Amino acid sequence: MQNLNRREFLKLFGVCGTGAVLSGCSEPKRYLIPYIDPPEDVTPGVAAYYATTCRECPAGCGMIAKNREGRTIKVEGNPVQPISGGKLCMRGQASLHGLYNPDRFTGPMLRGAAGQFEPVSWEKGQTILASTISEIVRRGGAGRIVFLTDLITGSLEDMTAHWLSEMGQRNGHVVYETYAYESLRQANKAVFGNDAVPTYRFDDLDFLISFNADLLETWISNLEFARQFGDFHPIKGDKKNKFVFVGPRLSMTANNADLWIQTRPGTEYAVALGIIRAILDGGLMPAIPAGRRAYLGSITANWPVEKAAATAGCDPGMIRAAAGEFARAARPFAISDGRSMFSPNATETAVAANLLCTLNPRSLGAADFGRPHSYSKTATAESIKNLTDRMRSGEIDLLLIHRANPVFSLPGDWDFAGAMKSVPSVVSLSPAVDETSSLANLVLPTNYSFETWGDYSPRKGVSGFLQPVMGRVFNTRDMGDILVSTGKKVKGENSFPWRDFHPALQGYWMRAYKDSGGSGDFQSFWEDVLMRGGYWPESISPSPAPTIQTPAFDFPGPDQKPGKGLPVVVYPTVQFFDGRMANHMWVQEIPDPMTQTTWGGWVEIHPETAREMDLGKGDLIEMKTDFGAVEVPVLPIYTVPKGVAAIPVGQGHTRFGRFADGLPANPFKLLPPELETVSGGIRNTGIFAAVRKTGGSFDIAHTDGSFSQHGRGFWQTVSLEERNKMAASGTMPDIDYPLPKGYEESKDFYPTHEHKDYRWSMVVDMDRCIGCGACVVGCYAENNVAVVKREQVLMGREMSWIRVQRYFDDETKLARWVVMLCQHCDNAPCEYVCPIFAPQHSVEGINNQIYNRCFGTRFCSQNDPYKVRRFNWYTFSRPSPLKWQLNPDVTVRQKGVMEKCSFCIQRIIEAKIDARNKGRKVKDGDFTTACAQTCPTNALVFGSLLDPESRVSRMINDVRAYQVLVELNTKPAVIYLKRVTQEIVA
Amino acid sequence: MQSGQPQGLTSYAEADLQIIRTMWHPGTFYWFWIMVTGLGVAVGAIAWGYQIVTGLGAANVMHPVMWASYLTNFVFWVGIAHSGTLISAILFLFRASWRTTVSRASEAMTIFAVMIAGLFPLIHLGRVWIVYWILPYPNERNLWPNFQSPLVFDVIAISTYLTVSFLFWYTGMIPDLATIRDRTTGWRSRVYGFLALGWEGSNQSWRHYGTAYLFFAALATPLVISVHSVVSWDFALGISPGWHSTIFAPYFVAGAIHSGLAMVLVLLIPLRKIYKFENLLTIYVFEQIARTIILTGLIVGYSYAVEHFMSVYSGNEPEATQYHWRMTGYYSWCYWMMVVCNVFVPIALFFKKVRTNLKALFTIGILVLIGMWFERLVIIAGTQAHEFDPYSWGVYKYPSMVEWCILVGSFSLFFFLFLLFAKFLPTISITELKEAIPPGEIKG
Repeated sequence: MQNLNRREFLKLFGVCGTGAVLSGCSEPKRYLIPYIDPPEDVTPGVAAYYATTCRECPAGCGMIAKNREGRTIKVEGNPVQPISGGKLCMRGQASLHGLYNPDRFTGPMLRGAAGQFEPVSWEKGQTILASTISEIVRRGGAGRIVFLTDLITGSLEDMTAHWLSEMGQRNGHVVYETYAYESLRQANKAVFGNDAVPTYRFDDLDFLISFNADLLETWISNLEFARQFGDFHPIKGDKKNKFVFVGPRLSMTANNADLWIQTRPGTEYAVALGIIRAILDGGLMPAIPAGRRAYLGSITANWPVEKAAATAGCDPGMIRAAAGEFARAARPFAISDGRSMFSPNATETAVAANLLCTLNPRSLGAADFGRPHSYSKTATAESIKNLTDRMRSGEIDLLLIHRANPVFSLPGDWDFAGAMKSVPSVVSLSPAVDETSSLANLVLPTNYSFETWGDYSPRKGVSGFLQPVMGRVFNTRDMGDILVSTGKKVKGENSFPWRDFHPALQGYWMRAYKDSGGSGDFQSFWEDVLMRGGYWPESISPSPAPTIQTPAFDFPGPDQKPGKGLPVVVYPTVQFFDGRMANHMWVQEIPDPMTQTTWGGWVEIHPETAREMDLGKGDLIEMKTDFGAVEVPVLPIYTVPKGVAAIPVGQGHTRFGRFADGLPANPFKLLPPELETVSGGIRNTGIFAAVRKTGGSFDIAHTDGSFSQHGRGFWQTVSLEERNKMAASGTMPDIDYPLPKGYEESKDFYPTHEHKDYRWSMVVDMDRCIGCGACVVGCYAENNVAVVKREQVLMGREMSWIRVQRYFDDETKLARWVVMLCQHCDNAPCEYVCPIFAPQHSVEGINNQIYNRCFGTRFCSQNDPYKVRRFNWYTFSRPSPLKWQLNPDVTVRQKGVMEKCSFCIQRIIEAKIDARNKGRKVKDGDFTTACAQTCPTNALVFGSLLDPESRVSRMINDVRAYQVLVELNTKPAVIYLKRVTQEIVA
Repeated sequence: MQSGQPQGLTSYAEADLQIIRTMWHPGTFYWFWIMVTGLGVAVGAIAWGYQIVTGLGAANVMHPVMWASYLTNFVFWVGIAHSGTLISAILFLFRASWRTTVSRASEAMTIFAVMIAGLFPLIHLGRVWIVYWILPYPNERNLWPNFQSPLVFDVIAISTYLTVSFLFWYTGMIPDLATIRDRTTGWRSRVYGFLALGWEGSNQSWRHYGTAYLFFAALATPLVISVHSVVSWDFALGISPGWHSTIFAPYFVAGAIHSGLAMVLVLLIPLRKIYKFENLLTIYVFEQIARTIILTGLIVGYSYAVEHFMSVYSGNEPEATQYHWRMTGYYSWCYWMMVVCNVFVPIALFFKKVRTNLKALFTIGILVLIGMWFERLVIIAGTQAHEFDPYSWGVYKYPSMVEWCILVGSFSLFFFLFLLFAKFLPTISITELKEAIPPGEIKG
């Protein structure tokens, strides 16, 4: 330093100075738009919408993907598609987290010498696959290649079949779905002569009884059924249809029933038989033909109501009550779960439910066998078992897997993973890592549904289209393209004359169009279906009612001995389906509707049973059956009867990415390995677990603070008679209007708020709410709400702006939901305590939270009686590429500021600009909030109270209207309608 | 003889020298403690820095308990601050002679405590770097604070209190500073001469001094009441069950004085021993403080009882549940600790043996301080944990490492400042001490 001359000094100075400047501007360089030269149809700031189809489960709901600057940021239901009708369930809303899953395969991978995946080029990967196939084809043999896919239909199924037949393979395509409804199909074959899952329609029924079918959660097409339930069950005029649920657990669906008949696991069939018997004995339905009466009489000869009730462990009065309602109803119907893995005697229950349906042939149209569901194509557990055996005995040379994860969802005893080791080549075409793909030798990752060309038909007559709604996130390819290019490599251009999959898809649809009698220009048809999101020829006439069979059927006797140990119910949830959703962060973060638990599985035990067994919340127990064991934390809760435990499926992943791995527990591993001889499904003989405390604990990250509302009127119910009486007498609800007319000198000190043009408000009809939580994910997606993960949820730091609070009725112990979001009070307690006006009452009545103004005293949250304000404890971030999902219209909040529901203010502003361009005011129904948009039952209605004709203006004068904590004089602008209860008695 | 009069002083010079000899020459013991507390301050500062960088998640505050240890500390330190003014101003106005020897130290305590209290709302903020937005001054943002908010009241109340307390303290110290100027040479004389603001000791000086001191005493007195009332409105003006109550202002003021007196005991008993002030800080002084603690303890106890009674009597369900939960819920051990330490422990002071036993008094002082800290925690965290929406009930489990460090830092800062004060400023008012020497005893 001594000899530092001027030149060197300046150099040094310059370097230091630049360094200081650079470190001062430490924000990394970012681009507002991902394109330098954007394509013609991308206008910065203007969203583009593309129709596609949800592929998160086989229901196949139509979706509209909203693109901003070339990235998909939100999905909503496609209003013209018959399955979704504009709505999406929680899983559909969360599908973007599948697309942007940071644990997707980034490109083709080859298992290296060290056993690790190593990246290879597509050229090399496909060459390896092609040479493997060529070798197999050269050696000959018709059953050497198996293509194990999830449920695919239409052009891709066609291409798979073509590819396999070109390779000289027969029956090589195995469609694996965890839920194949073997028992339901078998029962339909037995009673209705159709080995199929039909298309159900519940909206024009007047009585529905479900034997353990969770139609609002995962059963067949839950979103469509939830929409139909929204037409079927809520009060219409002064009437309300009745819904009875029979099953061992208070599921979300059960909790929506007017009567829950609690049964011992696997005895639902006894209730169905008891109902038939009660109807026959009581002569409740005189119109039953004599032959039928005699047949049913003989079937139910052993099942007098008392005996049926004793078998099921329920009150015989309930069976009689259900029988009475069934007999009285004009259009009654019965459904059953039909998934044998979840319940013992599932086939028996399904048959009994179908027999019950036959009592009233007029409503049999609710099950349309002329339009079978694509579930009917799925392989039974029996064929999967056969496949496993064939793999183990070395009969299979190449196993291709696409989006199927049998290693996770098959009984542990089958050891599918072990069988895979006997297959020389396992190639995964799945987009993301999972337990099965992680065992492959070669991974050729396929596009996610949002990046792909294709179609999917959930049932006959409805085909949804898939188109690339955005560029690929990772180096992946269409499965169809991989088939075409490897086919060309092996068999040459003549066998695969297409450039890639797209012309093949068009060819398939050109044929389909011609076959269906289309004579117009195919190109315009094609553009039309792409724009509309699919093809659903409207004029499908309902098929004739099925012929009713009289099968001889042996029902298990009433005096079966229960097994030893704690009976365990294994059940699927609306969030995780069969576990395939567990790598979607939103789905992990949103509380389970019944238990309000996030991030990790649990075992439900009745609080009294837990006390008797000396088990506390979070105690880790080992549950061991003859076939497997899981370690799972205890959750004492009222959703199960005393002496029964219940474990949800979906968690317990080991190789499913960072969000899913390591959380307890996978109950598929407790399932018995046997098969039902009749249906070919997994034979659940009853799961009885030996329980052992491990001494460890796993804190349950639940978001509820209390089971009871302590009489504070968050949820309120009114009986149907009471409601009708009040409506007839013209009673007005006791509402503090969030309008100038809601102010009274006697209780208001400050002057009223004057509103300009609009006073935004929301009505939440709790008679319509089914508790599914779709609104919550819709809000997370729309408003860039941060996901905080397990540790922070345990601290109570979840960020949800809207939540479906679950309380239990103190007496009945039935769950009661209430949708809680910012109430946008006209007299808001949060506003006056802020020292710097960060919460601000707008002229449109909205309680705005100005993030830039907030310095985080958190007083607003302290003074908020609804506890809907959320504080940014950190600058919560999202791992790339999940951040691509962020909505550019909504500020991403930094640490230290408060946030909360804004009534989707960005949508309000967009609607106002749009209306102004049209030279008018915003009309009711021009737009709605993200939560209301996706609600399958339309429980949420948004609008302006200054418009006397708006839906909200009319609904707030309903006799059922109430406000939460109205005694605090907050004048909430979120107004609830009471749930209507009705009794079901004999 | 039982009195608050200084004992054994026979000349003004003796009084001057006894105080001045305690200044400036630190021993090993002093160095040790200044290092320890200095380290504590550094730990607290680093913890705060860490929290600013990572976000408030570094503390264990959560939804719904958005305020926890930081605001507990805030109210605690404001409370501590109170007794200083009470002793020096109110007792001055009431001519309670025993206050003479303790007033300076308790005023210093007031100022340090208010300074530390004032730090906590800043530590507690989510984005402390824009805290100046709360100040009402014309600005380019065209924004103005919300005078409806109790937090704005707080800013005004606390800053007023700090200003008045400082002026009161400083005014009272001017003649002492001049005394030191006159008794020293060299740089000390120059520095203290500067601080003495040219004090001449003339009749006119003394007349102005007396008037000013009286005025400041009169001005500070209502502040004792108002500041803690305003602090209590942070809670009482909210609508939460357990906060929304008219009893809060008097209840908080009594609690503040309760804890402040306890802190005086905790500070003065060691000071007396270390500086050998037995002749000045007589047992009689401590006995008087102990008697006042009985009174404040009973007021506090009465307030607890009234709160509980009202919660049941009003028929307000959330309120009743709140108080029931305080006694039985997660914070019940804090609650019972608070009741025992604040109400039952001071009852022991009814016994003269206890009142005159310095060890017992010191212990009781510590216990009351602990009890009062837990009172604030129970009121703040307990209420928030159990508000209107049962779904959103949840508990702040325990302070995080960052919160512990900041708590340690705050106590360290207090004692650090007090240690500096003890070596650089006269800990007992020399002027008042001289006034208090009975004329008959003066020999020189």
